[in-house]
Amino acid sequence: MARGKSKPYSNLNLTSIGLTNPNAYCADFVRKHDYESFLLAPFYPKSLQGAYFAIKAFSVELAMVQDNVSNVALGKMRMQFWREALKDCAEVCITHKRSKSIGLNVTEQGKPPRHPIALALHEAMQRVHLPLYHFKRLIDARVCLFHALDTELHTPTHLTIDSLTSHAESTSSTVLYLLLSLLSISSSTMSHAASHLGCAQTISTLIRALPFHAKHGRMVIPAEVTGKHGVRQEEVFRYGPQTQGIEDAVFEFATVANDHLMTAREMFKKEGMGGKVPQEARGVFLAGVPIANMLGELEKANFNAFDGRVQGRGWKLPLLVWAGYYKGMF
Amino acid sequence: MSFARPRLLVGLQPYIRVISRPPSLHASFQARRLLSSSTSYRAQPSPHHHSAAVTNAKDIDPYKDGPSALDKAVHIFFFTEIIRGMWVVLENFFRPPYTIMYPFEKGPLSPRFRGEHALRRYPSGEERCIACKLCEAICPAQAITIESEAREDGSRKTTKYDIDMTKCIYCGFCQEACPVDAIVETQNQEFSTETREELLYNKEKLLANGDKYEAEIAANLHSEHVYR
Repeated sequence: MARGKSKPYSNLNLTSIGLTNPNAYCADFVRKHDYESFLLAPFYPKSLQGAYFAIKAFSVELAMVQDNVSNVALGKMRMQFWREALKDCAEVCITHKRSKSIGLNVTEQGKPPRHPIALALHEAMQRVHLPLYHFKRLIDARVCLFHALDTELHTPTHLTIDSLTSHAESTSSTVLYLLLSLLSISSSTMSHAASHLGCAQTISTLIRALPFHAKHGRMVIPAEVTGKHGVRQEEVFRYGPQTQGIEDAVFEFATVANDHLMTAREMFKKEGMGGKVPQEARGVFLAGVPIANMLGELEKANFNAFDGRVQGRGWKLPLLVWAGYYKGMF
Repeated sequence: MSFARPRLLVGLQPYIRVISRPPSLHASFQARRLLSSSTSYRAQPSPHHHSAAVTNAKDIDPYKDGPSALDKAVHIFFFTEIIRGMWVVLENFFRPPYTIMYPFEKGPLSPRFRGEHALRRYPSGEERCIACKLCEAICPAQAITIESEAREDGSRKTTKYDIDMTKCIYCGFCQEACPVDAIVETQNQEFSTETREELLYNKEKLLANGDKYEAEIAANLHSEHVYR
């Protein structure tokens, strides 16, 4: 299986995970923390899998900062680290390309920090053009959440579905935009579908993480929805699935996700694609398969987000992803 | 647990009798004495008192409805309380002991427990620390000292990473600030030494700690995570 440095699968044994093989580190990181994305990797071109893992690992890393950090200043410090790391990655790329075009071997000044994810991103940026503003938007969205943490007494709840949607647009959807530009696809229909898919992704991950957040005294369903169904937050934290009206609230929240998913599907029915995702973009839109699977499980569990079925990975998922790729549907 | 219930009745008998009766003046006094916590001390109108003014005072036996003298005497000498106390002792005599044999048996620790520090490596053996000095900057006790140098390939590496464990307040900020998860606090809390100098940790000691506890650290970091 040894195929060279850029192949993340080539050496998933422990001894190679580190600075010398940053892509393997990213692949391992994604496998541990975002297994569903790990499953989608084989459906990207072999040469781009390393870059795929780098982008995914970057977004997972940013998403996890708020869990690892107990106060706002620390979170901002870590975000600043990533901001500077990105700047260094991009600068090196520019100087690299320039020196190549002039034919000089210029010593590189601003090396990316020796963080495997930064190194992998750097390698990816050299390979493909990845717009920097998408990365910046990802960081800004997470930093915004820290501000919310600061002002709202450590409960980053979204009050309305609209504010949650805009947060989803700048996190999950932005990752999908990045993946589209990784595959060098610039189609407005695809971007539009990706933005809806991103919203569905964020909402479904939030529903899935509801027990985790409830355990930590955080409410992830927007207050708009819980208010409508008379769900008391404190009851959710204390009694979990026995809370009055929680299933109705989860149902309404899941409906929003499902609507976004269906809108994303609709996009491919227009413009003569015949309801199928074009071959070159299938990897990106396969992200819809785990979402649809999770929403289906939630429906079977009668919208009880605390059910084990919703929480688990499900043994069918790899098969569904594989079938989704060949059918071109999600 | 079924053992614990009936014994309550032994001590509660006089209370229950007092409570079940219609409230009267002396009964409420009695209740105040017996249940020292719950009676209000505000003046309250008593219907009994009203009737006493009408009938002859000699016909009223103020002790008729209350507990007997023996009951009261029992309470005065804390007899039921002694019995109840002895019952608790007897119960616990048959239960497994709460104490653990500490150095041999250890109590449970949270995965977020913050003990002795360690510097981690990547699975490939390279040091994680990139000498960004965020931990040094955030440390409220100023226990961390870092000196770094640039290497030939432009990256930075620490030449000195010292933690004064006598200054450290174990707040865990260094761990939270570290962007590469290099410095962590392990679950080890048993690192007492005979001299103060041994508590001034250097890089070698921290890296050795990391190598020793790596499996545990990685498991703890992974135990509480959620993707969003």
